[in-house]
Order: sequence, then structure tokens, then C-alpha cells
Amino acid sequence: MLRRRWRWAVVALGLAVLVSLPALVEALPAADRDVSAGELRERVLASDDVAFSGYAISTGGLTLPVSDALTGVADLLSDQTSLRAWYRGADDWRVDVVTATGETGTHRDATGTWTWDYADQAASRGTLPPLALPTAPDLLPSALGRRLLSEATDDELSRIAPARVAGVDAPGLRYTPADTAASVSAVDVWVDPGTGLPLRVVVRGGDTTTPALDTRFLDLSLATPDASTTDFRPPPGADIRSDQDLTDVDLGRQERADLPATLADLGRRGFDGVPEQIGVYGSGITVLAVSALPGRAAAALRDQLAATPGAVTDDLGVRIAAGPLALMVAGTSTRDGGTGTYLLAGTVTLDALATAARQIQEAAS
Amino acid sequence: MIGVELRKLFRRPRTWITIALLNALPVLVAVLLKVTDLAPRPGEGPAFLSAVLTNGTLYPLAALAIVLPLFLPIAVAVVAGDAVAGEAQGGTLRYLLARPAGRTRLLVAKLVAVIAFVLVTVVIVAAVGYVVGTALFEVQSLGATTGISGTSLTPEQVAGRTLLSIGYITVSMLGVAAFALFFSTLTDSPQLATLGALAVLIGSSLLFTLDAASDIAPYLPTRYWLSFVDFFREPILWRNITRGLGLQAVYVVVLLGAAWANFTTKDVTS
Repeated sequence: MLRRRWRWAVVALGLAVLVSLPALVEALPAADRDVSAGELRERVLASDDVAFSGYAISTGGLTLPVSDALTGVADLLSDQTSLRAWYRGADDWRVDVVTATGETGTHRDATGTWTWDYADQAASRGTLPPLALPTAPDLLPSALGRRLLSEATDDELSRIAPARVAGVDAPGLRYTPADTAASVSAVDVWVDPGTGLPLRVVVRGGDTTTPALDTRFLDLSLATPDASTTDFRPPPGADIRSDQDLTDVDLGRQERADLPATLADLGRRGFDGVPEQIGVYGSGITVLAVSALPGRAAAALRDQLAATPGAVTDDLGVRIAAGPLALMVAGTSTRDGGTGTYLLAGTVTLDALATAARQIQEAAS
Repeated sequence: MIGVELRKLFRRPRTWITIALLNALPVLVAVLLKVTDLAPRPGEGPAFLSAVLTNGTLYPLAALAIVLPLFLPIAVAVVAGDAVAGEAQGGTLRYLLARPAGRTRLLVAKLVAVIAFVLVTVVIVAAVGYVVGTALFEVQSLGATTGISGTSLTPEQVAGRTLLSIGYITVSMLGVAAFALFFSTLTDSPQLATLGALAVLIGSSLLFTLDAASDIAPYLPTRYWLSFVDFFREPILWRNITRGLGLQAVYVVVLLGAAWANFTTKDVTS
């Protein structure tokens, strides 16, 4: 009987060690650094020349009721995305979205980007538009952290507990936006203390514990990757295309009034080469984008939003909130005697959206 | 004792019938592709199947991807489940144990025979895939193959990475073999041992698709099976491959430990 027991005891002990090892390693406390929130932000902003390669995952917690035209953005914000990245400098990098049996790689060079899509066997050339919808490379913790912290003020920043990310003891930084229109309650960024590279970024909405977005490195190497890795030449036989950008979007033919200089207390930002009927307002993490919509596109989108649980419909239009992201189709078509329809989208509260929609209407009439 | 077990396994007609049946599906798929000229889009259907119409040398990989989710693990579970329980059911186990070699050595010999079966099976599926692929589809003898990352792979690179994939898939099957071998020491019914191992695999495959189970996903035995695809990215993505190898090693060590603890102490009556 004793003989029987010791053999099972050896197996049970071995199993216990193997099962508890990952949890034990994770439970080890991360060491903190004596650095102020403002200093940490400065280091983050200065990190865009830090070369690295790594593997990251981004998990979006939003459910967006959007049309087929925007599925790419919706997937990024609602699914888990695995990213492989090689970064040599701000205009020489590569980010691959890795799936079980394929991948989509974005290669940045001095004049633009090549995007390779294995599923379509197609290579697409983009020429750095001034304004574009979010793509997978924007979700890399390093890029997202720098972008979100770029307009934060010292008053909006505080230090939080450190965390171990990709094997690094990373001091933490919290950005709590001060704008009353803000729907994002906090952005938490953990930073590599040596280089200032953001290693993990968590975006939190108002009243839920599930982050709206959580993106972090799982592996990171600070060695400079080979130029041949970031370089791209379309393979023989591949379909060659050009990226669509916002200037190609059909905004309808009707003449419309100019968009106001401020909406819901958020100032308009200027971008060269962007059509006048597209406006971007706000700063930091509190941003509102407004675009004129052709009537036919507006009708379909309005129906889709109205069918979403929690949608608010009134004389201003239809608006919904998906976590901290708010969407609205506002106004009435010029064909129906209105002043035109607009799409409003951004990280603002529903009240701020309603105020903005009213101000657009007042400006137009 | 290992030699005895290997001879016994490979002299059985049913071993070869299993291997032949395993090859039937990829051959049928190849013929259908050839006749209809309809391949799935890249990234859809079994891995690499989309590329074989223009490059037949990739068919060994497509053939392995076709049998990997179900046929191959079933074959492995049948053979490994039979290892000890089959002897018990046939009434030959106590004669085997009457020899002075000891139970641990018998278990090791059974394990080696199962590993040999997995390797032989995977190599034969790949070899038949190569013959069928090069006979039915175009072969790019000089041109390069476009890898998943859009970079060109030379024929030598494709051959080398195919060999790495064969090795990786063989290791991936060892977890299944370990489950079936462990269950085989628990019961006198080989069917029960096989079904037990298959239940684990089906459970694992199902849990892997659930977001709610994402916390335990890295520990599921089927989690990294498809990672052989990562050999064809440029540069090779080693992360999931090394995790897959490590995970299989843990399953093999733990389950063989349990099989050893159980088998060396159990009362053998049949």
C-alpha cells in the first residue's frame, strides 16, 4: 500500500508544481521606480526613435453596430488581435496581424505604406493620408501610448502601481481626461523605465470594469531589427492596389454650410488635405469626428443605430454609446428639406453628442 | 523488449489499414481539386490548400493540415489506447508481465512503439501528399513560393520548413498518445481508452473556440496544433511553436508519470 502511495505522491507533486508555476511567477510583485508622472510622460513622448521587435495582443471590449464598410475598425475594437512588430524608426517599421492560417502585414517606408494581405494575395500602397480610420498598427502599445499621452497635461496625470509586462517591471501612469465631454474615464499606461516605450495601454470607459481596450506586449526585444525584415517588395503574381483614403469617400453632392469652429466646447483641429465637410474636434483622448453623409448612406446607418439596444432617438437624430465610444446620425436630408445629414463619432458623452448635433443644425440654418 | 513491441505493431495488418485510410482523405481532396479546379481562398479551409493548385510541392503540408484536426488523432488514440488495454483484453498482459523485464520497461516499450507509429504515419501522409501533389498539380521547379508574409521562399526553404512541420506535428500528437496510453492502463477495454482520449481532444477543441475559456486556452492540448503554419512566416514565428513543444512535453511527462504510478502498482488479473 505504501509503495502505491509514494508513486502517486510523486506524480501529484510534479503536477502541483507545474500547474502553480505560472501563477506564482505572475504573483511576484513588480519593482517601482522613483519617477514623477510628468517625467514618465516625457520619456514616453521621446521614445519614438527606440528600435524594438515584439509580439503584442490587443483586446477590444466594444460591440459596434456598424455597417459592412467599417468591419475592419469594428473587429479591432471588439476582438483579440495578435500583432508582430519590428520597429527601426518612425518611418521604417512593420506590423503584422497574425491569424491562425494567415496574416496581414503593414510595412512603413519613407514615403508610405505597403499592406500585404495573404488572404487576398494582394499588396496595397498607401500614401500617408492626413486623417485615416484606425488600423491594426495603431493598436500597438508603443504607438497607442505615445498618441494618447501626447496631448495630456500634467494636471491630468498621476502615478499608479507598477506591473510586469513582457518580463519588464514597468512603472504605471494614469491619464484622467479633464474635459467635461470626455467619455473615457482613464487611460493607464505602463512604461519601460529604460527607454520610455509604452508596454501596455488600458483604456477604460465610465461605469464598467471591462476595459474598452487593453493592448500589451507579451514579448519584447530592444535589439534593432534587420532592414530586410521591415522592407517589402510585392511578390510576383500578387494583385497590386492603392489604399482608399478619406478624400475618396463620397460625401454627397449637396452644398452645405461650413462646420462650426467649436462643438460641445471642443475646438476644431486643422488638417491639410481633408475635405471641408469632415471636421475633427477636441484633444487628447476626448475627440469628436464629424462628417457629412450622403442621404442614402445615412438612412441605412440610421436604421442600424436605431435597432441597437439603448439607442436614443429624438428630433436631433439617433445616437448610441458602445463603451466610451459614441456614434450618432444627426440632421435630415436636404432632399427632405433639411440641412443635411451628418455622422458624429467620438470618445465623448451622449450629451456632448446631442449638443454638437444641435450646434451643427444651428450653424446650417 | 522495444524491438518486440515495434515488430508486433508493424506486423499487424490493422496498423497499415489505419495508415492507408488516413491517406484516403487527402488523396480524395487532391483529386477533387484537380477535377474542379476550385481551391479555397488563402486563409480559409485547411492551411496551404489554397496554394497547391499553383505549387504541388506544398501538398504534403496541405495533406497534414487535412488529417490533423481529427483523422490523425483518432488513429493515434486507437493505437495508443490499445497498447496496454488491448493486451489485458486479449488475456496476454499477465504473460507479458511474467517475463523478468518489469512493468516500467514494458510501458516504455509501448510508448516507443506508439511514438514510432506517429512518426511513420506523419511521414507517410507527407510522402503520399508529395507524390499526389507533384503528380496532379503544377510544380514550380525554379520559381520561388510566396510565404504567408508575402516574401519569397526558395524550394530549399520550403523543403526544410516542411521537414520542421513534420517533426512539430509528430510532437503535437504525443500528447494524444500520452492520454490514450494513460487511459489504457486504467481500463481493460481499448475502446474505452481510445474514446477517453478522443473526449479530451473534442473537449479541448471546443473550449479553444470559447472566449470565456480564454484564460485556460494556453493549457489546452490542442491549442498549438496549427502553429506549424508559423514555420512559413518570415521571419519564423517561434513563440507558439516553442510553447506547443513545451506544452506537449508537460502532458507527456505528467500522463506517463500517472500511467507509470498506476500500471506499476495495479493488480493484473487478465
